[in-house]
Order: sequence, then C-alpha cells, then structure tokens
Amino acid sequence: MTNVYVHGIGMTQFGTFIDRTMKDLLLDACIQALEDAGNPKVDAVFVGNFMGGSIYNQEILGAIVANELGLGFIPTAKVEGACASGGIALRQGILGILSGEYNTVLVAGVEKMKHASTADVTQAINAAMDNDSNEKHAGLTFPGFFGVLANRYFYETGASKKHLAMLALKNREHALNNPLAQFRKPTTLEEIMDARMITNPLGLFDCSPMTDGAAALVISKEKSAIHIRSSAQASGPTQMQDADDLLSIPAIRESGRLAYEKAGVGPEDIDVVEIHDCFSMTEMIAIEELGFFNKREGWKAVEEGRTKSTGDKPVNTSGGLLSRGHPIGATGVAQIYQLVSQLRGNAANQVDNPRLALAQNLGGTGSYSTVHILERV
Amino acid sequence: MKVFQCNSCDYQSISNKYVCPKCLKGKLEELEVPSTGTVYSFTDIHVAPSEFADIAPYTVALVQLDEAKGKVTVRVNEPVQIGDKVELENVEKGAYLYKKI
Repeated sequence: MTNVYVHGIGMTQFGTFIDRTMKDLLLDACIQALEDAGNPKVDAVFVGNFMGGSIYNQEILGAIVANELGLGFIPTAKVEGACASGGIALRQGILGILSGEYNTVLVAGVEKMKHASTADVTQAINAAMDNDSNEKHAGLTFPGFFGVLANRYFYETGASKKHLAMLALKNREHALNNPLAQFRKPTTLEEIMDARMITNPLGLFDCSPMTDGAAALVISKEKSAIHIRSSAQASGPTQMQDADDLLSIPAIRESGRLAYEKAGVGPEDIDVVEIHDCFSMTEMIAIEELGFFNKREGWKAVEEGRTKSTGDKPVNTSGGLLSRGHPIGATGVAQIYQLVSQLRGNAANQVDNPRLALAQNLGGTGSYSTVHILERV
Repeated sequence: MKVFQCNSCDYQSISNKYVCPKCLKGKLEELEVPSTGTVYSFTDIHVAPSEFADIAPYTVALVQLDEAKGKVTVRVNEPVQIGDKVELENVEKGAYLYKKI
C-alpha cells in the first residue's frame, strides 16, 4: 500500500506531429492532467524521457515544465530508464511522496521521434543496450533480441508466427476504438503475416512504431478514487548471452512478484492490464512472467482470445505500444492514463466494472521493469 | 574461447562480473574452452542500424558452447537453424564470427 493517489491524467494524441515541438506536446499533457486534478499546488516534477538529448538536442525538461507552467522554484528532474523512463518517473514521484518530502507531484513522459530518420532512431535506441560487449559488436539489435527469443519460443512450444500475428491483431483492434491511438486503420491476420520482415520471425506489425506524444499524471497523498496500491521496480541482464533462461525476462518477473507482494494481491485478482508490448513477442513473455498464464503457454491464451478486451484477462485495451504507439518516455505514463480511465469507467474498450489494474513498463532488452497496481477505492 | 566460471556455484558467463550474480558471493575465474557449439536460437537482421546497414541482412545466433554451461552471441556467415553445429572462424572488431561445421 503506498497511500498515494492519482488525481489527474492527461495525454496528447499519439502519432506523427512534425509541426508540434517536444515542449508543446509535454506542456499539453501536463496542463490536461493539472486541470483534471483541479489545479492543485505541485511540489515537484518528474519527466520520463529517453532520447531528447540525442536526437532532439533538448534536456532540462523538468525545469521547462516548472517554468512554463508557473509552478514556482520547485525541484524537478528528468528520469531516463530507456523505454521504462515513464514508469520509473512515476515511481520516483511516488517515492518522493512516501519520503514525506512532497504532498503532490506532477509526473510526465514525452518523446519526439518522427522528425528523425529510422536509421538514426535505431542507432539512438541502441544506446539502451550494453554497447561495450561482443554481443553488440556481433550486430544484435533490439528487434533482433526479440527475434532470437521468438525463434526459441516456437522451437520449445506449439506456437508459431501466427500466434504473434493474432496478438498484434488484437492490439490493433483495441486501437481502432481509442481516439488517441497512432494506428486506427483496420488490418487482417494475412496482412500482418505477409508484412516486410524486420528480424526473422518478426515482421513490421510485430514491432512498435516510432511515435511523437506525451502523457502526464498528478499524484498526491491526498485521497482520490484511484489508489496506487503498489509500485515495484527490478533490473535484469543487459545482455542476451547472460540470460539463464532465454524465455524468461527476470526484471518483469521480479517487478511483478514484488508488486503483488506489496499490494497483497495475485495475478488472478487483476481485472485489466497494460503490458509493455514493444514487440508482439514481449507481450507473449510478459503475460507468462506476470503469472497470468503458465510459462510457455501464453500462446494458448492468445489463441483462445483470453487477452482481448472481451476476454477474462484483458491486456492492452489501449492498443498497446504496437498500435496506440510508443513515444518512448511517454509510454509508461500513458499506460497509467489508460488504466485510470478503465477504473473511472470511461476508457476506450471499457471492461466491465474493473477494481484492480496492473501496468508493466520495460526498458532495454530486460534491463529495467516497473510494475504499478492501481485500485478503485 | 574464454569463459568465466564462478568458484562457488555453477554460474558461468562469457563476460566477467565483480561478484557472481547467481550465488552473490563467488568470484569468477577465467576458463579456456573450445569454441565449438550448437545454435540455441537465431535471427536474420533485415533492418539494421546505420553501422551494420552495409552487411544486412545478416544472421546473429545465440550459441550454446559444447564444453561449457555458458552461451555466446555471435554473427554467422550464413543462415542457420536451431541445432546446427558451429565454430569460431574469426574475431573481428570485437565480434565473434562463426561458421557452420
């Protein structure tokens, strides 16, 4: 139990916004969250962001938020944890409140990617691998890591490329109903299966896109209807060749275990889930690591439609990273936006009367993972 | 091929660590093992970052070494399948380049 509560949420449309600056997107989401919270006094700001420095030449995001919004001379920071930057920013805000230092914190996440070339973004994303290693020198990439994982998963289970395609199609179908999602064009299993290969067996639809966007939250020790029941974080191997079991991502497993323990609940109690599906294969592993389905059997649950918004364990009702979009630093915050909407009863793909919701945000190829469990009180 | 073996448990890695990450107390010691191994899994990288764009598509494999517990990530000079036998051909710019036996 953190006794920290969510008071406001904000999120921009995710997509391609060549004419909007990173500052514009960031402030837009922050203002929405502040208004939603009734404009309380803010004691600190934490902003999740990964590549603002490397491809947009913009840092000091925390101070920019405080200055442009007139929040006063309050402490702020940018938080970097690769694709888990947003989840870690939220956790730093929670810890700041738990320490007694702050009453109310503004947490935001932002990324601006679409102005850069795919090769430059791929290169910048590779900063989230251990670059001083024989593995990096061999030419392994992010999608490469999950391609290697997928081929082994197919080898050890009854799963095939079709199961990954079913998972990607499920997230696209969710995105069709989410007005803030990047991809709202219907697709088919055939189109997904036949798409251009990225890293065998992963094709274009198995990989999350480049996205511009921002999201924000106001959290406080003052009570609201949404309680953050637990916050947990773990680290894991930074290299594929160090994995004890290639089909396990220990940071996901451990952050989930800690979050359940702190919240006093189990995977069976969770009503709605947002998972870090940077690749279709990542969601497949995560639904197993978080205990929703048995190890090496997640593909059966996908085949049976159990993770659809109409299933018994709805996963990524927002459309996930694959179809809602993945503005890297904003992703972990946008997951909370969707879950708070679910608990308030006004989400895209609203599930029936949820009480407990879980968000899992991953950074690197298993380097960082955060899990937050939210509760409607 | 050099691997690092924990002196108090069975942990082994291709790279050295300050303390054994498995038993959290042992120290790792260098061990020389044959480079031959079996493809544990693989991928063919069609979309590469700028520094590898000129050799794409290329194959990266995770190789289970025959006479060690550890695995190593390598680049192979031709497409492979899980179970293929491979061995070290060359070390180039910090990368292990393997070939099928």
